[in-house]
Amino acid sequence: MRRLLHIEQIKLLNYNPFRIALGIYVLAFTLGLVIYPAVDKEIPVISLSDLFRFPDVWVFLTWVTEPYNILLALVVIMITTKEFNNHTFKTQLVFGLSRTELLLQKLLLVMVLALFATLLLGITSLSLGLIYSYKITFKIALENTWILGRYLVSSIAYMSMALLLALLIKNTALSLLTFLAMRVFVDPVLFLILRKHEIRWYLPMRTTTRLTPLPDLIEIFQRKMNSPEPIDESALDILPEGLSPWLNIFLVLLYTSLAIFFSYRLMQRRRFT
Amino acid sequence: MKEILSIRGLSKSYKNVKAIRNLDLQISEGQAYGILGPNGSGKTTTLSIVTGIIRQDGGHFQWFGEDPEASQRKTIGSLIETPHFYPYLNLEKNLRIICDIKGMPYGDIGRVLETAQLAERKRSRFSTLSLGMKQRLGIAAALLGDPRVLVLDEPTNGLDPEGIAEVREIVLQQVQEGKTLILASHILSEVEKICNHVAILKKGELIANGPVKELLSEEEIIEISCNNNEELREKLKHSALVKEIETENGLLVLTLNEKIGPAEINSFAFSNSLVVHHMLSRKRSLESQFLELVKEE
Repeated sequence: MRRLLHIEQIKLLNYNPFRIALGIYVLAFTLGLVIYPAVDKEIPVISLSDLFRFPDVWVFLTWVTEPYNILLALVVIMITTKEFNNHTFKTQLVFGLSRTELLLQKLLLVMVLALFATLLLGITSLSLGLIYSYKITFKIALENTWILGRYLVSSIAYMSMALLLALLIKNTALSLLTFLAMRVFVDPVLFLILRKHEIRWYLPMRTTTRLTPLPDLIEIFQRKMNSPEPIDESALDILPEGLSPWLNIFLVLLYTSLAIFFSYRLMQRRRFT
Repeated sequence: MKEILSIRGLSKSYKNVKAIRNLDLQISEGQAYGILGPNGSGKTTTLSIVTGIIRQDGGHFQWFGEDPEASQRKTIGSLIETPHFYPYLNLEKNLRIICDIKGMPYGDIGRVLETAQLAERKRSRFSTLSLGMKQRLGIAAALLGDPRVLVLDEPTNGLDPEGIAEVREIVLQQVQEGKTLILASHILSEVEKICNHVAILKKGELIANGPVKELLSEEEIIEISCNNNEELREKLKHSALVKEIETENGLLVLTLNEKIGPAEINSFAFSNSLVVHHMLSRKRSLESQFLELVKEE
């Protein structure tokens, strides 16, 4: 395991596109710390800083940063297809890695990137929370941190699907396009077409995005205004729809396992020339 | 002699092309084994299968008397076709990856770069190397950890004459150190210079297999049989016509001296009142066979 990680480390830390992509990712995350408060001054009644308070900050930032996972998925595609382009999967096989180890290498990369992303999210949320909360108690600060676990799962899910596509298509541009098309076009369009059917909630990308849902903004602002009469949410027709959270998580884990299983099958059968 | 690689009934097809059919090869320790054949005869396919790059359709092979496993490849130094490394990494880092794969320390990198005359370029990116240097790096990588078996597929392909000489020099040195070598080539003279055993492939089939000096040597080898082989053997021994006499399946196998041909042998037998009823020139038939199949391509 450590050997495989070390091999990936040599490959990646010296690879400029990887360093740049990771740099952009970190920048995008930390820029939030600076930009969000600046935006906030321009909206008078509703204050975004309300969303940066414990315990809501965890859920809100998770929702905001969820699309950054796409960047990580693109990194996985780039790294994996590069191995095909450079014929380096073949070199590693010849010198003694097994086909299973080749896959394990990439799965370890997925795990490390997912943990890194989750850690970054944790640190960012904690920092914003500490800055904007009036009253900080241990209990309030740590409430809702469970969302980080769901973020980790969604991160792994995206990257596993990306890995499968990369192993299947082998071509960098085509794999990237396919992934983006699935995320921003195929899945949403299918979701609309199937709007009368329960099955639309079972689409892989949809279940994954729903792991990190939009926080209940109405509830948050209500709490702020201390409104005596809660707004009838059902009247606004924004009641949370879809599958129960546990079924949703189960589905994402199922899709991730399937992606890994098919990646394994592809790895075993591929002809590495 | 210990068995290094044994291939039995191996076959592989690509769509409608049969790359190799029912191939059998045995390679023992210390042999310098050449696999000779024109382009498309199945050499690279065979070596790709035994080094795990592609899977065979039928048959099986064993390394060191055991079923194939990825870990066996760590004790084999291979170069299959053109070497492929990470273009953006320098030579040293590329070799570090190979060391990590093989689970060995980085200490050997300096030595193999020295052997391949690339020590000065160790901080250059792989992508900046010339074709000849890339090929030499491929050989350097194969030599990492001093493996007992080398598998080289056309190691001099695409090199200039100087490069060819350098690579041959490195490979010959390894053979002299007692390594087992499996070398695929389409160049008759290359196999002749480096190998002591050769298998000739044509369209994926084994058409000949034996010691190089017997199959490809300049000396003429003749199979002969007469009414009294023993007497002929004794008489020939004391003549100046032959270098060597061996008996094979009741036939005498003669290695002739220079400028001696079948006619001289025949008249020698006749003058000794021996009647030759079988005579076959082995070398000619094989060499012409090889040239013929090279010509076809």
